[in-house]
Amino acid sequence: MTTAYRLWEIQDRSNTGPQMDEDDFLPKLFTPKLQEIVKKYEIKCDNSNPVPVDDEMSDRIWKAGWELFREVGLYNTDTHRIIKVTDDEIKEALYMAKGQYWVGAGKDAVLWQHRKVEDTLPPFCIYSGDATCDENLHYSQCLAYLKEPLLDGFCAPILEDSMGQKIRSAGPTEINGCTQHIYNMRLAAKQTGRPGTFFVAVGTAEHDSGQIAVSNNEWGVRTTDTRILGTLTEFKTADTLLNRVVHCAQYGCYTGNLTGPIYGGWCGGSEGVAVSLVAYSLSGLCIHGAIFNQHFPFHLNWGSNTTRELLWPISMAGQAMARNSKLLYTSNGFANAGPMTEMLFYETACHALVSTVSGWHLWEMASTRNKYRNRATPMEARMGAEVGHAVARQGMTREKANEIANKLLAKYEDQAATASKGSQYQECYDVDKAIPTSEHLDMFNKVKDEIAEMGVDFLF
Amino acid sequence: MSLDNLCRFVSSGKKDESVALTEKLIGDGTDPLKIISSLTDAMGEVGEQFARLEIFLPEMMQAGEAMAAAVELCRSKMLKGAVVESKGKVIVGTVKGDLHEIGKNILKLMLEANGFQVKDVGYDADPLLFIKTAEEMGADFIAASSLMSTTMPHQKEIIDLLKDKGLRDKYKVVIGGAPTTQDWADEIGADLYCYDAGSAPSLMAELLNK
Repeated sequence: MTTAYRLWEIQDRSNTGPQMDEDDFLPKLFTPKLQEIVKKYEIKCDNSNPVPVDDEMSDRIWKAGWELFREVGLYNTDTHRIIKVTDDEIKEALYMAKGQYWVGAGKDAVLWQHRKVEDTLPPFCIYSGDATCDENLHYSQCLAYLKEPLLDGFCAPILEDSMGQKIRSAGPTEINGCTQHIYNMRLAAKQTGRPGTFFVAVGTAEHDSGQIAVSNNEWGVRTTDTRILGTLTEFKTADTLLNRVVHCAQYGCYTGNLTGPIYGGWCGGSEGVAVSLVAYSLSGLCIHGAIFNQHFPFHLNWGSNTTRELLWPISMAGQAMARNSKLLYTSNGFANAGPMTEMLFYETACHALVSTVSGWHLWEMASTRNKYRNRATPMEARMGAEVGHAVARQGMTREKANEIANKLLAKYEDQAATASKGSQYQECYDVDKAIPTSEHLDMFNKVKDEIAEMGVDFLF
Repeated sequence: MSLDNLCRFVSSGKKDESVALTEKLIGDGTDPLKIISSLTDAMGEVGEQFARLEIFLPEMMQAGEAMAAAVELCRSKMLKGAVVESKGKVIVGTVKGDLHEIGKNILKLMLEANGFQVKDVGYDADPLLFIKTAEEMGADFIAASSLMSTTMPHQKEIIDLLKDKGLRDKYKVVIGGAPTTQDWADEIGADLYCYDAGSAPSLMAELLNK
């Protein structure tokens, strides 16, 4: 934790910060301030270029995000007060943030480093379907993800049932489900020969009690793993979320800050989303003590982020943070289409390409907008990681990435609203062996060949 | 200055101007019910623009506030016995354990924009609170939102409690939220599943008129 020694000074502001009614926070403070800042810093989206080359604007987005966070803070819905930090505290936290962390354990530990725009260092790849799955498929899915060679970190699917009972947040079944979740991950990591793999866990826990119950260096979430600490959209928190901040700091595990600014919501359009992404990153650093920020900006109607409205802010915010900080941040893809569809592979490739060249690390891939049970597989994450590694290793420029992104968008953007849900995991994977079916693999290779033709030099 | 101007003020979220012009129109003899009817049509159009994301949530909210202020003024000036037609009475809320409310708030706006009368029980709302509030309001619908897979069971709890209390047939239960699906709605016996807030008003009106 970068700001551990400030933990209680920051937490205390939930009780001493400026008071405001919750109903007023977004319409009367957040949105007007964001609109004012977007105008002041002359931020303007041109979404015909999903990967813009405009260093001056990306630097202005950095300043705008800083100002937004300083002026708006983070609203605690339990105390009805705003946690605010000063410029000096932001500067201090940025100075204290390390540009790199060893995560995971033993031979499986990985050095996770800050990336620059057009960096040749490959992105750190966290694999996650972000979907729920049947209880009897959870272990197989853990195995399937952990069989992926380019996986640097793993966030397992979410359980809805445990021991045949529906998991209910904050109740005993949630603790039971969280225990099952981490045991499945641990056993799968051991059986696949990578027991020290860096875990982001556990996604089954919605409530703090579930998270805290599985902190255990022997069988559970280790101090070499991470938790992700959510923020309520937009710029709100609650004691149940801040409980996790204190727990993680005192337990000693890593933490990531999870945010999803909404295009079309309180952030407004693409410009507001870009500025909010930077502001959220500073909030994660200063208030959650996060070593990384996990962002999934998404479209209000579609719940995805693979179209132009979202690719522009992803690229610009990534470049802003890459150029002005040494922070780590993952770009979490949300696709419209479902598994074993060509569209899903195109969407993932485009998201990974835009993100990688803009300085992000990768968190791929929520298929079918993470809405449907069993509709996510490691194959789309593999596409993201292979594209990310290729783009970095070949030193792709933003201009080239922009050209390819437009070609990829032409393959799917008109189908965003009507995308197919594709197949379920058990329909496109051999569940016992936890490997993709030949049909699935053939489709992957076909799309990969097409993307290679566009100019991505795959490494294998 | 005309009703058209008032609709333009409301659509562009100009609350003070909307109230002032409403006052003037009523003073000049325009029937408050006619004003409300025109504003309802105008807000319906605003709602459609928002559904297409031609405008964003803050603009929609501002228009809603301007409309609410104008309608409130009209109600205070209506003749005794005059009644504003409602398409239905709805309880909206986000279920227990779930702190996410943007979807629920958008639903509330869309329903109000389309002539429904709405009572909001907030987020992290106990199943019993939905039911008690519905009883107090004499609601037609209970609309429960959930954003997390582990809070979805609380949507089922509302239906189970209604059955246990012998009230199941009294209310149409509507569910929605990111992880919910038609399959889930069928499984728990909800009356209606809404994929998004934009489609809710017409689907709910249709259900009530069946």
